[in-house]
Amino acid sequence: MFMHVDDGRRPANRVSRKSTCVGQENGFGQGNWQRGVRAAPRAVRNVAIPGWDCLDAGYALNVTTHRIESIVLKSWPLHEADLVVSLLTREAGKIKGIAKSGLKSRRRFGGALEPMTYVLASYAEKPRQELVRLDSCEIVASPLSEEMDYGRAAALAFYTEVLEEALPDRDPQDAIFRLTLAVLAHTRKGHIWMPVTYFSLWIPRLLGWLPELGRCTVCEEPLTGRGGYFHAEMDGLVCETHRPAGARMLTAESLALAQTMFRQPVAKFAASEGEAAWPAARAADLRRFTTQSLERHLERRLRSVEALRRLAKA
Amino acid sequence: MARFAEPMARLIEELRKLPGIGTKSAQRMAFHILRASEADAEALADAVRDLKAKLRLCSVCNNITDVDPCIYCASPTRNQRLVCVVEEPTSIASVEKSRGYNGVYHVLHGTLSPLHGVGPEHLRTGNLLVRVERGEVDEVILATSPTVEGEATAAYLADLLRPLKVRATRIATGVPAGSDIEYADEVTMTRAIEGRREV
Repeated sequence: MFMHVDDGRRPANRVSRKSTCVGQENGFGQGNWQRGVRAAPRAVRNVAIPGWDCLDAGYALNVTTHRIESIVLKSWPLHEADLVVSLLTREAGKIKGIAKSGLKSRRRFGGALEPMTYVLASYAEKPRQELVRLDSCEIVASPLSEEMDYGRAAALAFYTEVLEEALPDRDPQDAIFRLTLAVLAHTRKGHIWMPVTYFSLWIPRLLGWLPELGRCTVCEEPLTGRGGYFHAEMDGLVCETHRPAGARMLTAESLALAQTMFRQPVAKFAASEGEAAWPAARAADLRRFTTQSLERHLERRLRSVEALRRLAKA
Repeated sequence: MARFAEPMARLIEELRKLPGIGTKSAQRMAFHILRASEADAEALADAVRDLKAKLRLCSVCNNITDVDPCIYCASPTRNQRLVCVVEEPTSIASVEKSRGYNGVYHVLHGTLSPLHGVGPEHLRTGNLLVRVERGEVDEVILATSPTVEGEATAAYLADLLRPLKVRATRIATGVPAGSDIEYADEVTMTRAIEGRREV
């Protein structure tokens, strides 16, 4: 069980409300929800009528509303005024929804749809519909509350891109949700490398993509104290004997750092390490190893990783 | 779906590519053009052709213009020592609407966006830095959007300008005029409080 990344910032008013409503609240007769459904007479809109509009009655009445802790991953325009928003929710996994007028009107969503904003998202969904209807987002913590620079933007983009690409839709991953919140709290201007390294190490592990790091994956010889070698075309680490051509070294120090990260929550790790001790060069080999592992499993290059590499070189 | 003669179908298909134009609107426009006089149709075609042929970027500020330098950079009545940095040429119209700004502009044509592979090297900052280095500028107003990418771009530009000893300022953010405080989100409200001024 993942124990290390609960940051204690769970909002007191956290609510996850599921209710199969009978056409109330955001029920039928509105916009997209009207598809294929004959509008009910106004007087009976809040009442379930057995057999009414028999073809689509079940479809129309099974509106489920939720209010769930979520992290906004990404949003992109749909038509002139709407946005499609990708959310990582604590209890429903990654979902996508339509924010009506989210692009044109800032009144409804404000800055809540910025990537990596921690929100309480209210949405409604119907069976057999992939996209939910996003009604509102109440900000719990925003990345815009703190100073922003290119490094921090690149780190946030890295979290966004990895979560967006790696997680399947509607597969709840509470540990990943807590990990993301924890690293977000430590990603500050000028202090990005520790949380980025921590995130890039934990994510493949939580997704089950990371083999044991303490042993050679070929001969199972212990690597502790000696370091190991990694290659873009293979999983895990190998010893010097089984090192393939073109392999890079993961130093013993970085390996020890990784083992420490596996044992400690990010807050405790940050406190013990001291943030000033994290220049870009520190554990760069570990970051390369973990991001290579991610890219190998995703079968694509991550743009934000490239931005982070350029930033580290600068 | 109705079938149209090839030239009509082609025009509908092209119009459909415009933002906010669906098939029905494209059909209406195409039939309107068909019914219009020869001169009107020619004028429309010429306007579209000229748009691509004659427009270019201003060598001073990167604004889209048909004359170089653009009308803002060439204007003798504007304060040429005050530069407002915006993301896109369309942002200029928003600033101009205020009628409260009499300086000139610099257009970046984008913001830093690691997710889209846009790094510092892709921003059009070269000619801005040249203007500042030559001592032609007293103040640079960073008017990028208050989003993650806009803020990162503003911070990056501020870092670039700092050693050049020019005054760099950021546009204020807060509660929009005419709106209700009740609807302001937490971040906006925090910034509004931070940016309060004496009355």
